[in-house]
Amino acid sequence: MDRRKALKKAGLIAGATITMPSMFSLLQSCKNESRLDWKPLFFTDIEAKTVALLIDMILPKTDTPGGLDVKADIFIDKVIAKSYDEEEQKKMRSDITEFNAGCKDKKGDIFIDLKESDRIEILKEAEASSGKYNPGVWGTHVGEQEPIGFYRSLKSMAIWAYFTSEEVGKNVLSYDPIPGVFEPCKPLSEVGNRWSL
Amino acid sequence: MANFNIDAKRNRTYDAIVIGSGISGGWAAKELCEKGLKTLVLERGPIVEHVVDYPTMNLDPWDMELRGGLTPEEKKKHYKNIRSGWVGKDTEHFWADDEANPYTEKKPFLWLRGHQMGGKSLLWGKQTYRWSDIDFEANAKDGHGVDWPIRYKDIEPWYTYVEKFAGISGEALGLPQLPDSHFLPPMELNCVEKYVKERIEKNFAGRNMTIGRVAHLTKPMNGRGQCQYRNRCSRGCPFGAYFSSNAVTLPAANATGNLTIRPYSIAQEVIYDDKRGKATGVRIIDAETSEVLEYSARVIFVNASALSTAHILMKSTSNRFENGLGNDSGELGHNLMDHTYRVGAMGKVEGFEDKYYKGRRPNGIYIPRYVNIDENSKSDKFVRGFGFQGAGYRGGNAANIESFGAEFKDSILKPGPWEFFLTGFAECLPYHENKITLNRDVLDKWGQPTLTIDAEFKENEKALNKQIQEDAVEMLTKAGLKDVMGFDKEHPPGYGVHEMGTARMGRDPKTSVLNKFNQIHAVKNVFVTDGACMTSSSCVNPSLTYMALTARAADYAVSELKKFNI
Repeated sequence: MDRRKALKKAGLIAGATITMPSMFSLLQSCKNESRLDWKPLFFTDIEAKTVALLIDMILPKTDTPGGLDVKADIFIDKVIAKSYDEEEQKKMRSDITEFNAGCKDKKGDIFIDLKESDRIEILKEAEASSGKYNPGVWGTHVGEQEPIGFYRSLKSMAIWAYFTSEEVGKNVLSYDPIPGVFEPCKPLSEVGNRWSL
Repeated sequence: MANFNIDAKRNRTYDAIVIGSGISGGWAAKELCEKGLKTLVLERGPIVEHVVDYPTMNLDPWDMELRGGLTPEEKKKHYKNIRSGWVGKDTEHFWADDEANPYTEKKPFLWLRGHQMGGKSLLWGKQTYRWSDIDFEANAKDGHGVDWPIRYKDIEPWYTYVEKFAGISGEALGLPQLPDSHFLPPMELNCVEKYVKERIEKNFAGRNMTIGRVAHLTKPMNGRGQCQYRNRCSRGCPFGAYFSSNAVTLPAANATGNLTIRPYSIAQEVIYDDKRGKATGVRIIDAETSEVLEYSARVIFVNASALSTAHILMKSTSNRFENGLGNDSGELGHNLMDHTYRVGAMGKVEGFEDKYYKGRRPNGIYIPRYVNIDENSKSDKFVRGFGFQGAGYRGGNAANIESFGAEFKDSILKPGPWEFFLTGFAECLPYHENKITLNRDVLDKWGQPTLTIDAEFKENEKALNKQIQEDAVEMLTKAGLKDVMGFDKEHPPGYGVHEMGTARMGRDPKTSVLNKFNQIHAVKNVFVTDGACMTSSSCVNPSLTYMALTARAADYAVSELKKFNI
């Protein structure tokens, strides 16, 4: 049995716990020695770097700020620490571990230690294989919702963190806290980017 | 606004007591105070003074630590409310504490409550529609439930009366099944909504799409500002643009000098004097001190919300009324109704990629009922009918786009695809067996018996929902939408937050609790004018009807007091 399958199986048996030796050695194998410049509330060093790298690849800096410029990683860490219950936190932890196990299985190393072309391949495959969110009506999804994997749910959180950051919300998106009027049919060119609120 | 008189210590005797300060309680307080009655409003939660006590009204997402997210403790406090999909950090403080105020669901039922001054009038959807004779005659015609003791002509002047003060915006259509209100200018449809409207109306004779009729001001009125299109209504509106007790009726009541409002006052029972044959007051528990106190009055309005009103009456026992005040019929707590919710269809609209809008309109479209309104529209699958709400907007979910990186990021800064949805609201029949009962095994934080709710939608509601979904899919498909998807969340009752019927009006004291003036048949100085009084549920939103019935009942109560009849 390969390591990925072993991890999956162990995950099933042990619920969401990740304290098995194989997992520990997996994490120890990290070659990336750089230190974070912030102290996560929830993530381990490697988890934080994994999430940060994912955010940077999904929402890189261009002529507008990137996800890391608006500290999307730090905000996501805070949300998991302060908003998730224990079960949800365990799930997040095992999801990242499983994601890294998949990287190791397919490309020979955990995500942050892969070369860029391999990381891009991993993300492309994740895009193609992970479930999609059903549309919502009045605050809840409708229809039969397929499971959303780690990659897409993290992507969704990253976009949320990005759009709701003050920098993007006020200066990149179109910001108008008190519109005062309703203009029902306006040329998009007169608004520009999507409304932030 | 002037400070409220909350000093109910010196004075324990009033002309009138109103239990509850939500949509109907606020109207009762205003009408009774304006007619000169010294009125005590008993509110089980804190004072929420207009503007002053709207702590989140101007917060942007980044102003909140978790940008609207809740902590596990907050989620636990709202473990039932949260199922609605409506509870976030911006409104959390206006939703009742589910842990302190438990209820038991014999069958699934979501009971959403707002335990503060203004109640759910701070949180409501503001959709306001007159009922018609199709509604008031429905029970008599098809034999479900009992006949309403009133008809449209009885309530019509009172609709006009409350609309002129509340401020209702909308478009007049002249439809018999959905009478026009006294309207402020309507809000506008956006270009995609106009596109869908044209195609639905062209393809389906007898179906109309209009802008939602809403209790939002579209021009200033009585010192209140008009809607600023922020769509942050449920946090409390600093402009007073939408109707709430806090912004509209309670300040008017307060201006008379006749209002006292006592916060943290949980009504326990209406006190009945067996000798005098009338109610003499209300016993409360102070929510903060647990002190038990009594207040007396000549007339009592019970406006605690449909379930709580019936709960209070069920706990109000005496030699004369062993099974609850005014419950000679055995109908108290029965006939619980709500509208079905989140069933319909949605799809994408192409061809408007270069169009957008400005302003967050707190309103959508409405398609009035078109089935079972005459011989031609008669269905052989169900009785009664449904209407649709909906909206067109630029939505989409950026996370679903199979892409990442620089180009992806720049693309999602632009608005997503146009989407459009229709969601139906079906009328629910009054079933005697859909009921609430006192639960003496599960006690609330103050040691008081709670409610067990035992209600469900049945075959007729399921048939209506099936038709709703089929019709919605058909309308959107024929209108040319893409990726049309029908949906039915199969929500149990409660999600519509239109609880009705637990102390119904009727002609016969043997089968109903209230008479045609919302008076308890056998206790003439007690009135119920919230959702509990409703004899049927119509398919349109009920709040405007509560307002009108309340103003009408208050007028009658005062005239009866003057004649010494009560």
